[in-house]
Amino acid sequence: MVDKIKVKNLSCYYNKKCVLESLDINIEQNKILSIMGPANSGKTTFLRTLNRMNDFNVNYLRKGEVYLDGYSIFCMNMENLRKRVGMLFAMPIPLPMSIYENIIYAPKCLNIILSKSEQNIIVEQALRDASLWDEVKDRLNSSAMKISGGQQQRLCIARILAVNPEIILFDEPCSGLDPISTAKVEESMIELKRKYTIVLVTNNVKQASRVSDKTAFFLMGKLVEINKTDELFVSPKKKQTEDYITGRFG
Amino acid sequence: MIKLSPKLSQKLSYLFLFLATILAIIPGVLIISIIIAKGWSVFFTLKFLTSMPTSGMLKGGILPAIIGTFLLVIISIFFVLPIGVGAAIYLNEYSKNNLFTKIIKLAIINLAGVPSIVYGLFGLGIFVIYLKLGVSIIAGALTLSMMELPVVITTAYGALNSVPLSFREASLSLGVSRWKTIVHIVLPNAIPGILTGAVLSTARIAGETAPLLFTAVAFYTPHLPHSIRDQVMILPYHLYITATQIPNMEENRIFATALALLIIVLSMNFIAIIARIYFRKNRKW
Ligand SMILES: Nc1ncnc2c1ncn2[C@@H]1O[C@H](COP(=O)(O)OP(=O)(O)O)[C@@H](O)[C@H]1O
Ligand SMILES: [Mg+2]
Repeated sequence: MVDKIKVKNLSCYYNKKCVLESLDINIEQNKILSIMGPANSGKTTFLRTLNRMNDFNVNYLRKGEVYLDGYSIFCMNMENLRKRVGMLFAMPIPLPMSIYENIIYAPKCLNIILSKSEQNIIVEQALRDASLWDEVKDRLNSSAMKISGGQQQRLCIARILAVNPEIILFDEPCSGLDPISTAKVEESMIELKRKYTIVLVTNNVKQASRVSDKTAFFLMGKLVEINKTDELFVSPKKKQTEDYITGRFG
Repeated sequence: MIKLSPKLSQKLSYLFLFLATILAIIPGVLIISIIIAKGWSVFFTLKFLTSMPTSGMLKGGILPAIIGTFLLVIISIFFVLPIGVGAAIYLNEYSKNNLFTKIIKLAIINLAGVPSIVYGLFGLGIFVIYLKLGVSIIAGALTLSMMELPVVITTAYGALNSVPLSFREASLSLGVSRWKTIVHIVLPNAIPGILTGAVLSTARIAGETAPLLFTAVAFYTPHLPHSIRDQVMILPYHLYITATQIPNMEENRIFATALALLIIVLSMNFIAIIARIYFRKNRKW
């Protein structure tokens, strides 16, 4: 077991109000860690801290450390960090351009590739890995805003894959999707863990049990429990966890 | 007090609002129709638009004034667009929301309300005298661009601000830098709004006389301008002098000049409206 990310005593604040308290979590390489918990328990804040998306927010403050492969992420160049730690948002956010351009956008900006044929290869590979290729291969040049929500979300996954990250953070990626689209996104997630380390925030207890290797339960800014998914769902150690997964919560 | 039935008072208030609306548009309709009625006969002797004035402006056309107006407006846009858009980018994308920024924003809003004659005097002091540009096209264009700047900054700011935050986040989360996000995502989606604002502000200044009075304008030039250091004739000023300073001026010629100015300004507004509708329709989000 290699720990890709180590979180040490991390606390986060908005306007001096604590929303994540003294968090210690290790995230294993090539595994899916899901984080579940009711709304406002700090899950999104945790993810946005991991790739420093919150650094632009002047009201946000953090203490503690996060190590990626042993190096503090807060000492890294922000762009390099985000390239290594991709993030998928709750709502699909296709950029207002074609499917093809959406995927090649970041690699182009990051000067990763040059020739047209190399671009084609990257686009195809990313779309295949996100299980979207077959559905859009005939209309790569049509607008990304015109495909369905589930397809848009997988396009956003493909867009992340195209920059070749090491870790992907999913923030409730299926909250706006129907069951069939959800199943497709989950399918591609399980495929992805062979190459990537995945953190999946979900408010869907079943989804956590279906796809993840480990599960953490957040409540009001605190980590209540973290364990292997099968163990956590069969024999939760804390009463709050049990209440939450059996649906007796709030 | 007389008590009116609710239905009647409803009807009366409708009537009042309707009359107020009619009253509001009557001057505009009158101005345009009178100018067209009196001006069109001279206007459509096409020579009027394409020839130099002769016989102390009593004969000939208004070509130099049309060209002067266009030159000033176009050159000023070249100055104002990069500066205005740059300032808007700074304000919308980079500046922190502190006292300094608030003061700048307030100052920009207030600059838009400074009387144009004040800009004219300022342009005279800075460009004509201090920078020794003389009374010239370039001095006039610079003065105009100062006047346009607050409007262009404000509209560009609005256009940048209307690009959804989520686009920026999506781009940043991929490891794309802030500057490249602005260049490749924010600006392309804001350009329609920016350009529409620029055209509208141009239409506004095309009819201005005061800022150009001391900085660019000549009563009469015998030939078309050769360089940006030349003085020029402009339509609004030409209109003023032919209407007030020249005895025995044929009235229809004055109205034809007004018609030319009106057409230029209105067609710019029209272009801006069409462009806005077009871009709205083709907006991708
Ligand atoms: N940008 C922000 N500014 C201020 N408070 C915020 C911001 N984002 C989240 N919060 C607050 O932080 C707490 C945790 O929110 P969040 O991390 O979004 O929780 P979750 O994703 O688990 O629903 C909530 O109380 C929320 O109101
Ligand atoms: Mg959330």
